[in-house]
Amino acid sequence: MATVVAPEGGRVDSAAAPPRSRRRRTDEREPRNWVGGAAGWLWLVIVVVPLYWIVITSFKTRANYFTTNPLAPPSSPTMENYRFVLDQDFARYFVNSVIVTFGAVVPAVAVSFMAAYAIVRAGEGRFLRATNSMFLLGLAIPLQAVIIPIYLIIIRLQLYDTLLAIILPSIAFAIPLSVLVLGNFIRDVPRELFESMRMDGATEWTMLWRLALPLTRPALVTVGIYQGLTVWNNFLLPLILIQSPEQRPLPLALWAFQGQYGINVPAIAASVVLTALPIVILYAVGRRQLLSGLTAGFGK
Amino acid sequence: MTVIVPPAPAVQTTRSASAAGGHGPVGWMVLPALVVFVAFGAVPLLGVLGLSFTTWDGLGVIHPSGLTSWHAVLADPGLPHAMWVTFKIMALSWLFQTPMSILIGVFLAGHQRYREFLAILYFIPLLLSAAAIAITYKALLDPNFGLGAGLGIPLLQQDWLGNSTLALGVVVFVVSWQFIPFHSLIYQGAVRQIPRSMYEAAALDGAGRVRQFFSITLPQLKYTIITSSTLMVVGSLTFFDLIFVLTEGGPGDATRSLALEMYKTGFQANLMGPASAIAVILVVVGLLVALLLRRLGGRGDESQLEGA
Amino acid sequence: MELGQLSLSRRNFLGLSAAAAGALALSGCGSSGPGQAKSGEATYWFLSGQPQQDIRQGAVDAFDKKNPDGTIKATTFQNDAYKTKIKTALGAGQGPTIIWGWGGGGLKSWVDAHQVEDLTSWFGSNADVKNRLFPSSFGPATIDGKIYAMPAETVQPIVLYYNKRVFDKVGAKPPQSWGDIMALVPKFNGAGVAPFSLAGQSRWTNMMWLEFAFDRVGGSEVFQAVFDGQPNAWSHPASIQGLTMVQDLVKANGFVKGFASIVADQNADQALLYTDKAAMMLHGSWTYASMKTDGGDFVTGGHLGWMNFPPVEGGKGDPSDTVGNPGQYLSINASASAEQKDIAKKFFSEGVLQDAEIKQWIDTGGVPIVNGADKELASSDDAEFLGFVYDTASKAKVFAQSWDQALSPTAAETLLDNIAKLFQLSITPQQFADSMNAVIGK
Repeated sequence: MATVVAPEGGRVDSAAAPPRSRRRRTDEREPRNWVGGAAGWLWLVIVVVPLYWIVITSFKTRANYFTTNPLAPPSSPTMENYRFVLDQDFARYFVNSVIVTFGAVVPAVAVSFMAAYAIVRAGEGRFLRATNSMFLLGLAIPLQAVIIPIYLIIIRLQLYDTLLAIILPSIAFAIPLSVLVLGNFIRDVPRELFESMRMDGATEWTMLWRLALPLTRPALVTVGIYQGLTVWNNFLLPLILIQSPEQRPLPLALWAFQGQYGINVPAIAASVVLTALPIVILYAVGRRQLLSGLTAGFGK
Repeated sequence: MTVIVPPAPAVQTTRSASAAGGHGPVGWMVLPALVVFVAFGAVPLLGVLGLSFTTWDGLGVIHPSGLTSWHAVLADPGLPHAMWVTFKIMALSWLFQTPMSILIGVFLAGHQRYREFLAILYFIPLLLSAAAIAITYKALLDPNFGLGAGLGIPLLQQDWLGNSTLALGVVVFVVSWQFIPFHSLIYQGAVRQIPRSMYEAAALDGAGRVRQFFSITLPQLKYTIITSSTLMVVGSLTFFDLIFVLTEGGPGDATRSLALEMYKTGFQANLMGPASAIAVILVVVGLLVALLLRRLGGRGDESQLEGA
Repeated sequence: MELGQLSLSRRNFLGLSAAAAGALALSGCGSSGPGQAKSGEATYWFLSGQPQQDIRQGAVDAFDKKNPDGTIKATTFQNDAYKTKIKTALGAGQGPTIIWGWGGGGLKSWVDAHQVEDLTSWFGSNADVKNRLFPSSFGPATIDGKIYAMPAETVQPIVLYYNKRVFDKVGAKPPQSWGDIMALVPKFNGAGVAPFSLAGQSRWTNMMWLEFAFDRVGGSEVFQAVFDGQPNAWSHPASIQGLTMVQDLVKANGFVKGFASIVADQNADQALLYTDKAAMMLHGSWTYASMKTDGGDFVTGGHLGWMNFPPVEGGKGDPSDTVGNPGQYLSINASASAEQKDIAKKFFSEGVLQDAEIKQWIDTGGVPIVNGADKELASSDDAEFLGFVYDTASKAKVFAQSWDQALSPTAAETLLDNIAKLFQLSITPQQFADSMNAVIGK
């Protein structure tokens, strides 16, 4: 997903959002929503068919694939495709992706949180106002547009073909949205709490740690997950800035693999499943957090 | 008599220093983010502008060359073509995704039981990288070795990625495949916030389901539509990964959007100057579109809950 | 705020920052890849794709064994990705020591950017290395009178392959002229077989058609004019005729359905030929090797036929002319260390095209550019094909280099673009000529 201009009312206005309990069991009392339902189920099929196809194909042998019905499950499922893909060093690419994602997301969320805190707490000053505006404008800068100068800068910094080359720009591009969203959540922390801590002699840094951080933890996690997903799936930065096979993160490795073995459809299917699996598992585990964070933020 | 006066809290002095609702020195906290952002965000942005006034083949020395690169870009028929392709992709993806997402969002909002299950499944396309999705569809749509060929259904056996019109349609479809779930969930969240009382009042007045949808649901979703549309449109302007892996701008230049035109001009034809000019155009168009949408959507300050 | 909650979040934070710090530390170690090779090691990049990849790797391994103090580390890339990657790498100062390439315009762009070593004097003092090789192979390696690359590997003319099984089934004979080709198209389509297989997405595969069309209609002077930078060279009547001919073939459904999305790197186009889905294919001689390995008994059972591109009725071109790659070219990175350059030069004189490698190329149906190789060809399993390739290459009146390699990268990119549109039937021959005229000499 690309960067976005500030959505209207990103803040959760706790007063206006009606409690969930107000909408209850609509389907019991009202006539069925045929159009919506049809659309919903149809789209479900459309979503599922490619996923289903990719999974079952990954278990077919190459010879089998050409002769059998593509939508039929494999008669004699095999793990040879997965073995083949793993032999091609996929574990290493996975590690690269993990390094890049952690190395980018944690610092990004951390510095964005600090910046958001400063902007919320003292945003009237000219310096902070200007910085805030610059971050907001940054939401409109697409990565694709500035990739050429980034390439130049990375070369000058002698970071070409290292994972750091992907990490640093990723942090920069994660900052605008993170600052915006985190700022909105920090703004919701009642002023009185800050006041009372100040009267107890706390410094701003202490207040950030002991007040803002715990209260905005859900937002931090949500932002972290969102940015994590973006960085994990980034393709353009590795495409331009990485050349050695050992340094490839997963999306780039997947593309190179497809370039070489494209005809071997089951192997390609296995590689796609393997690259998607970590994220899907993480998602299944951490689902609630992400959903509530996202829908709350965009509700109104 | 001596009175032991507790020392005045250190806070006092700083409190008086700042006029509005006291806070301590906090400006430094913004510095790390600022530094990284300036280095890898702001500087490259200026850099692209600067590079557009040079001639560079990516290998040798960068020669400043005034307006040469700009002339080359503006005179090249490839540019308006790329803009047209980009516009088509933007418009078509919006036209396809928005109604679908609203419909599905409304549906999801009402059906608690299936909601959880559907929500899980709906999110998976969003989790996949654009490269993975493009590769999946490439294999799926191969006219000789894909789904269509395997099932033997001629309708599915079209030259999906080799025919100019079809290829564009496929790009729009795959984009929608990835993002409709996301937008559906946004709309679902928004619909669930519309107070039931509004629907009840309308029902009492004799409004049917369809009427309720158009008179209550849609207007209440106005700001959500603006938000979701902004995301869609600005996002589709810069699609690169998906199109690059799926068609590489082809066949010919049928799917060569602005972002791809920039990549090809710079990294394949060795013309970094013109590529930078295209990049500047990309940023400007993006800004314009975002501003336009904001203008269209109003300020978003009024409450929509009147009459609830 | 309970203390428990606080300390938990602090613990989490510490844990996260430890992970991040670890990640950053790991990421900071650059790759021990091409640009930062260990001392005493040179790097070498070449194309992936079998069986050529194994042969190149074999030559490197053999050299490394004999020279443990100065070894070569190889990295492979896919064809299209390689062309872009080598540019970004050289631009970043991280190019490999030994650069594999096609010579011609691409090499010239490296020379202009001072990225490759001038090898003229080295060849002067190592005349035995020079004299072993086909003289004609030095053409694309010479820029402005100086030699910047070592010719290597095989000579690769473009061949018109045909599937004998399919021809027999339909009762057709191999075409002897362009008219025959057009007549065969409806015959094969009627029998449910694609007349020609083509990997259209790679674009340089489409280009082979134009190369022959131009040559057969107007002779090699037509393209030579473009190469020499003559204004409006593309509007020559023979050029327009060639472009029109090819579009006629597309309109007549001469190419396999979906050709515009088939990519050459995966050998899908070859697969169509040997699985009997297509009758003919115009492709480089190197594809013989992969068809032999992947095609079952297609090649070994004698079902593959080959010929030079037939003449066009009324055309001026010499039917013995051919196009393709007169060789492959190895250059030395000018920014490599002196040690690495020495290793590279040693590889050139002692590691390239040694007997073992020569034999391997012959076994795959390739003709190495070594003088006297023809004597070895006769004893190989693929003697017929090899003899054909050798004769075609050596007896051709003109052996023109592939256009996209002869021209500069900028002009080449415009060329490939226009070729794609031409085959999509979205531009006319005149529009093609106009666009290309605009980049002559660029």
